[in-house]
Amino acid sequence: MTVSIKSEIAGIVETLEKSVGDTVSQGDELIILSSMKMEIPILATVSGRIKEYAVAEGDMVSEDQLLVVIEA
Amino acid sequence: MTEKNDERPDLKAVLEARAALQDDARPEAVAKQKGRGRWTARQALAAIVDEGSFVEYGGLARPVIDGMSGPADGLVMGTAKVGGQAVDIVLYDYTVYGGSQSYINHHKITRMFAHAEELRLPVICWLDGGGARPQDGSPGRRLTPETFVVFARLSGLVPTVGIVPSRAFAGHANLAGMCDCLIGIKGSAIGLGGPPLVAAAMGKRLAPEEIGPIDMHAKSGVVDLVAEDETDAIELAKRYLSYFAPWRGEVIEPDTSVLRTVVPENRRRAYDVRKAIEHICDVGSVLELRRDFGKAIMTTFARIGGRTVGVIANQPMHLAGSIDTPASDKAARFTQICDAFDIPVLLLCDTPGLMVGPDAEKTGLVRHSARLLVALANARAPIMTVVLRKAYGLGFYIMGSQALRPAVLLAWPTAEYGGMGLEGAVEIAHGRELEQIADAEERDRRRQELLGAMQHAGSAIETAARFVYDDVIDPATTRDVLKLTLDTLANRDGDTKRRRFIEPF
Repeated sequence: MTVSIKSEIAGIVETLEKSVGDTVSQGDELIILSSMKMEIPILATVSGRIKEYAVAEGDMVSEDQLLVVIEA
Repeated sequence: MTEKNDERPDLKAVLEARAALQDDARPEAVAKQKGRGRWTARQALAAIVDEGSFVEYGGLARPVIDGMSGPADGLVMGTAKVGGQAVDIVLYDYTVYGGSQSYINHHKITRMFAHAEELRLPVICWLDGGGARPQDGSPGRRLTPETFVVFARLSGLVPTVGIVPSRAFAGHANLAGMCDCLIGIKGSAIGLGGPPLVAAAMGKRLAPEEIGPIDMHAKSGVVDLVAEDETDAIELAKRYLSYFAPWRGEVIEPDTSVLRTVVPENRRRAYDVRKAIEHICDVGSVLELRRDFGKAIMTTFARIGGRTVGVIANQPMHLAGSIDTPASDKAARFTQICDAFDIPVLLLCDTPGLMVGPDAEKTGLVRHSARLLVALANARAPIMTVVLRKAYGLGFYIMGSQALRPAVLLAWPTAEYGGMGLEGAVEIAHGRELEQIADAEERDRRRQELLGAMQHAGSAIETAARFVYDDVIDPATTRDVLKLTLDTLANRDGDTKRRRFIEPF
């Protein structure tokens, strides 16, 4: 099963905290977004393996935009 | 009761008429409803009320038009207990003319709402239908039912909960729009004008789910809770009502040590305030309302030591916790609900202030943010404040500052206080001085120095020294301190003369 994680906010991708293929646990930080001068951590909603990062560092993202796909 | 007594013709007729109302006497209608994948009104009723507690009103009512028939004229209603709490319950029955509002069932529901007003009973509405029954609209019959006005008068007097299992349009949507708490099941739809009206006005044929889908309403703030299915919706309705009655269940203590690490050490790092709420309140007691609307503020009912509190918390994960128009509206209305039912309000403050910029102003933020302040300033329910991190400007003023005379005003060690955001404050107070420094590196160093001084002045301890807070506490003790504070509020006299309605939005 794959799980898509979308952004709830608009912002800029500051850092990708993991790489494609990494194993992650629920609650792990996957991406740090920067929005309103704050760092917003995007957390893994499930445990699994990162299948895809749909964004790169420096990208602008909008609300509801796909960020990460996890193979649960 | 003996067999013989059963056979008296007068009694027999009544027993038969009563039996005919039940689902097992109507296999065809029930099968049709099942075929739609949906519950009957009586099935829902049985799942909502405590077993054996229901007393039906108007069960023997039937359609006013000759030749039409339908059990209870399409509205099942009566008194019952739900989780031990007495309620009035009304359920539109889709198997009777599509759950339509008829001449007779308008009288019925008005009777039930007036009954709730008289006896101060919470009301549960199962809203399954699309407004008026056309056949009943003939001349000579009253066309202005009291239904909606009587229901409107319950606002702020008794808690009202609506469940939309499938479609609520026209009159059913009017009722939905007035419920304190509105629950929609996934895939359901709500709208004032159904497909025929939309077609007539806009020349476009749309399905109900295209006009008012529930996921849209979750974002627009129309529905408070979205349920997976009927069972989930009923469970949510029961949970919602549980906050308005003394808690008889168990109290599970949360791990409060977690509170020490909820706020990250890195000032710029956001965190989910939900975690703070979950570790201050009784385990499993938290119910978040309007999750997908006004996300910069969370509004939740919860319990602390078994006592209901309404928690209003800035959400740093969204807009850094800046208060925008939807968040203002959401928090203002939630305050009104708490105030109407004397539920203490717990404000968890972490806001850089009100949202700024032309886009925010365009939404009418001047008025909407004022609405939140007016609601809190006029609330007679007690307010308790905990500053988790940012307490800046008008944002903090609204989120439980001294001026609102909270029962207690606490701060965590991470609290930051200031008349405005510090970065901006440095520019305003020292802009000229900074401008005159030619070397960019030197200018930056000076800026950081000034910022550091302001941060120190706004730190929890320095701010407490100027008595902005009643106390700065170990976050792990937050729950205990709030419990003790709630104990001091126990004998507060309610103002029984007060009568305020809750704004529907």
